[in-house]
Amino acid sequence: MAIRENKTLLIIFYVFIGLFALVCLVPFVLAVSGSLSTETEIAANGYSFLPQGFTFDTYKFMFGSKSEEIVRGYLNSVMITAMGTASAVIVTSAYAYVITAKGFRHRNVFAFFAYFTMLFSGGTLPWYILATKYYHLDNTLAGLFVPYLLNVFLMYLQANYFKSIPHEVVESAQIDGAGHYLIFFRIMLPLGQVGLVTISLFYALQFWNDFFLPLMLVTDEKLFTIQYMMYYMMANIQFLASGAASRISGAIIAPPLETAKLAMTCLTVLPIAILYPFLQRYFVRGIIVGSVKG
Amino acid sequence: MARRITWFSLLALVLFLSACSSNSNDGGSAGSGSPSGSSSSEASPTPGDPTQADFSEPVKLKLVFYTGQSKRMAELAGNELKDLVKKEINAELEFVYLPWSEYGGGKTDLMLSSGEEFAAYTDINYLSKSVSKGLYADLTPYVDAYAPDLKSNVAAASFDAFKLNGKQYAIPVGNRASSAAFYSVMVRQDLLEEVGMTSIGSLADLEQYYDKVHAKYPDMIGFASADATYMLMYEYTDKNLNWINNFIAVNEADQDDKLISWYESPEFKKYADLMNGWYKKGIIPKYAVTNQPQLMSDWNAGKAMFFTGTATRPIEGIAGITKAVPTAKLQNYFLSKNDRPKISRGTYNTAYFVSANAKHPERYVAFFNLLQKNQELYDFFTYGIKDKDYTLDENGRVTKLTSDLFFDDWMMMNDKFMRFEKSVPDDFIEQYKHWDDDAILSKTAGFNFDNTAVKNEESKLNGVFTELVAPIASGFVDYDTHFPKTLQKLKEAGLDKYIAEYQKQFSAWYASKAE
Repeated sequence: MAIRENKTLLIIFYVFIGLFALVCLVPFVLAVSGSLSTETEIAANGYSFLPQGFTFDTYKFMFGSKSEEIVRGYLNSVMITAMGTASAVIVTSAYAYVITAKGFRHRNVFAFFAYFTMLFSGGTLPWYILATKYYHLDNTLAGLFVPYLLNVFLMYLQANYFKSIPHEVVESAQIDGAGHYLIFFRIMLPLGQVGLVTISLFYALQFWNDFFLPLMLVTDEKLFTIQYMMYYMMANIQFLASGAASRISGAIIAPPLETAKLAMTCLTVLPIAILYPFLQRYFVRGIIVGSVKG
Repeated sequence: MARRITWFSLLALVLFLSACSSNSNDGGSAGSGSPSGSSSSEASPTPGDPTQADFSEPVKLKLVFYTGQSKRMAELAGNELKDLVKKEINAELEFVYLPWSEYGGGKTDLMLSSGEEFAAYTDINYLSKSVSKGLYADLTPYVDAYAPDLKSNVAAASFDAFKLNGKQYAIPVGNRASSAAFYSVMVRQDLLEEVGMTSIGSLADLEQYYDKVHAKYPDMIGFASADATYMLMYEYTDKNLNWINNFIAVNEADQDDKLISWYESPEFKKYADLMNGWYKKGIIPKYAVTNQPQLMSDWNAGKAMFFTGTATRPIEGIAGITKAVPTAKLQNYFLSKNDRPKISRGTYNTAYFVSANAKHPERYVAFFNLLQKNQELYDFFTYGIKDKDYTLDENGRVTKLTSDLFFDDWMMMNDKFMRFEKSVPDDFIEQYKHWDDDAILSKTAGFNFDNTAVKNEESKLNGVFTELVAPIASGFVDYDTHFPKTLQKLKEAGLDKYIAEYQKQFSAWYASKAE
């Protein structure tokens, strides 16, 4: 009896989740179908769920004239995501270890330093001056991930995972003569895996989706990421459509093709869309393992 | 006890730091203004005469552009352009490209405030904002000495438009026919001829054109915009009106400083009635109420009959339409303008500023001079290299061999040098050449309103405008039924105070100009 009830409930859940998923899918379908339509049809009839005048011309055009840039953008994005995530996880978990280490007198001071930045920020201008004038991060690869190496929220998240590791484990290691390096790498990291997986996912998404750092720090086209190329294009279209262009020049400037815009969207979303199901599986497994152990 | 003291000192630190941080947020502009402000006074490179700068030392110039760099432009910048600039002004150029979202704010602001050295383009609004923070270099001393050719090739009114308190803060580049922007109606000449008409000279002609085309192509829309304030002006009044903003107009035919509260004027009623007639008749489509961007798409898809025009729009806009309708032709007409002079605002040209921290502002000015020095350099900057990027025929018509852009032609466009493509009809060129012949400079040209005293009123008024006024102005609703309530809302929002403040500042400025 109870099982049957659950079944009805399950069906209701599935229907709702299915509907919700469909709603989420709509914009994506519009983008894909738009990118496969001809420009004239889009101009004449607007967007639709099925491609109008089905054609690969837009992709041909984009890969013909911009293939180099797109490939380079992809490579940069992948590189920054990989390097950024790896270094961010190390920095974050190291900091988290420091503020959770029992017996370290000043850990509260460090915790406070990190916490303070969550409450107050210097603002964009001081940040910009610091990044360009003092650290010289402009137009460097490092500039695209170094400023994001420590996300305080994720650091606290990781610290909480570390805190849940029984202190006795650490103590017994200390009795056996293990130092902080050994404890950190051999005990905390392996036992805090669940947290590491979570924060790496967050970091990876953040690095992949970021366009703020390239916007602020990079003007060299060789360092453009795929997201920034996307942002660049959208910003130009928006500006031209807003009529602000006539304020400075009185001109009608033909905005980039509508279909190209959509094709670019598809290209940016694609890798995440492909990778996410796999990542998500690890993500879920990590949590389950953690919960059983904990 | 020791613990308590630590906590107290921490608390004190927090308070101190938060006070600092809020301080730097509010006063960011002032704080950043002062260092650059002081350096702007030191900006003159050599002690003594700024017109005798030393060009023997090579310098680097940074130019910020919006949009991206084309491949050919990058090649040019690395070779021929580099050599030219080295030879002419002993400088090396660095091009920085930013997305348009950073124009007049965003990263441009950050770069200015953090004291970077560069030049970029500006408009009057951004100019007055930045100059008040001391972020632009004063270029007055350098114009005569280092940009003599530019000065003779660009209208003096354009230079005046970018002056503030008598100082030249930006250098205009380009000189194009810019009067009567939006006062003309740009018609699909191919359709006009198709229905057996040749030209349009009045509102009656325009409506006849609509009727005829509508009978033949019932799917087409008439007017591809919802604002014809300028275009219809010649029809609904004998004055020669010009608008400072949504709320305020002036009559350029009168030699006085009187401002007109536009929505309260009888002319606005006439205009709104005309538009309402268009809307009811279907010249403005019904969907314009909710989906204005669609109008522009329809125009570009060749599905609209006419649009507001400027001197250059027929050639700038044609590329968009010929994609959908290869035979499309565009032509500007004025409705019952008769002998009223065209009005020029003198500000439609692009201008470059140089940041206050630039060590060699004179070298930047010398570079701007190169852009419009002579026909040869103009061709080079706009079209690239002859016979490689473009060809010229015996009439001087240009054929581009690459679709890559060099220096944006809307920025460079100068009547003295500009070339037309082969597809542009002769009569358009003829019309264009004489476009500004009967133009007068608006009496408001060069006036900048300081809105600090009426900021609240301004934002409230803009709210009322979007909600209530715009539908009346576009003819979507009837003037007689809706205007009384709208006027009341405008008054409540502070229309009278706003206009009084505007009048006060404008009269003071007008009087000082007359002296």
